[in-house]
Amino acid sequence: MNNLFSLIAHHEYVLIFAVVLSEAIGLPVPAALALVAGGAAAAGGTLSLPRALATAVTAMLIGDTLLFILGRYMGWSLLGLLCRLSVNPESCVLRSAESFYKRGKTTLLIAKFIPGVNTMAPPLAGSMRMPAQQFLRLDLAGASLYILAYGGLGFLFRDFLAALTRGFQAASHVFGEVLFVAAIAYIFYRFFLYNKNKVYRVVPRVQVEELARKLESDEKEKVMILDVRSHGYYDAKAERIKGSLRIEPNNLSEELKSLPKDKDIYVYCT
Amino acid sequence: MALQLREQGFNAFVIVGGVAAWKKAGKPLEPVPPSDLVKLPTFA
Repeated sequence: MNNLFSLIAHHEYVLIFAVVLSEAIGLPVPAALALVAGGAAAAGGTLSLPRALATAVTAMLIGDTLLFILGRYMGWSLLGLLCRLSVNPESCVLRSAESFYKRGKTTLLIAKFIPGVNTMAPPLAGSMRMPAQQFLRLDLAGASLYILAYGGLGFLFRDFLAALTRGFQAASHVFGEVLFVAAIAYIFYRFFLYNKNKVYRVVPRVQVEELARKLESDEKEKVMILDVRSHGYYDAKAERIKGSLRIEPNNLSEELKSLPKDKDIYVYCT
Repeated sequence: MALQLREQGFNAFVIVGGVAAWKKAGKPLEPVPPSDLVKLPTFA
């Protein structure tokens, strides 16, 4: 934190611009932290608050607009690519799409505050054919809210943050405690992964060739293939496995009513 | 998704590799029908 304050103070607006732009295009950088540090630097007189805010908003709008345009022309292939960079590729697009289902275009106002959705919202809006002017208005409002929230936090609590960083320096044992917390968090993360894999193990998986053989045999009448992709349908040229039926993952409870229980159901989501 | 189906009493399986593996194996594909495409929310 202290290093970030120092960096912000020395490289000023360029660093704010670079960090915010990087986060906007999906890179794992702590833009919120940079904004808090920028706000604190502005409170200390090192930076001009209006210029710092304008720099951050401009960077975010450039990054978001870039993804919006790419989403418009690349469709789900861009969404898939961005999601491969996320912690949970399978739920990544679903979560963002679900947010659009629930909240519609206002998703763009709050997307920046929701990890995972923040990067996906602009390309999803692009792939959903949101008019550019509407996108720019909503994204400007959303970006301003986000930047004001974190920049304002740093501005208002500068003294507290400074005391906090001094405290960190004075108490070297805190580093050990942080390491301890990180180790605990890592153990929980491994436990989470273990449970996740355990869940996958209880669902039988079939290879493509095995399914193809069934479709060519007498068993084909017992086979139903479901396309449960969500992002795959953001591209008008999307293809699916021949004979498969689409169900909408975001509307599963309704979709289940139409499915037969006397058939073997094969699903794919990638 | 398959797990949710199983919990609801369906005999569900997961296709390993999904449509990408299916395509790679040279199995038949078809275009997504427009009727499915229009289910999506759009802002146009």
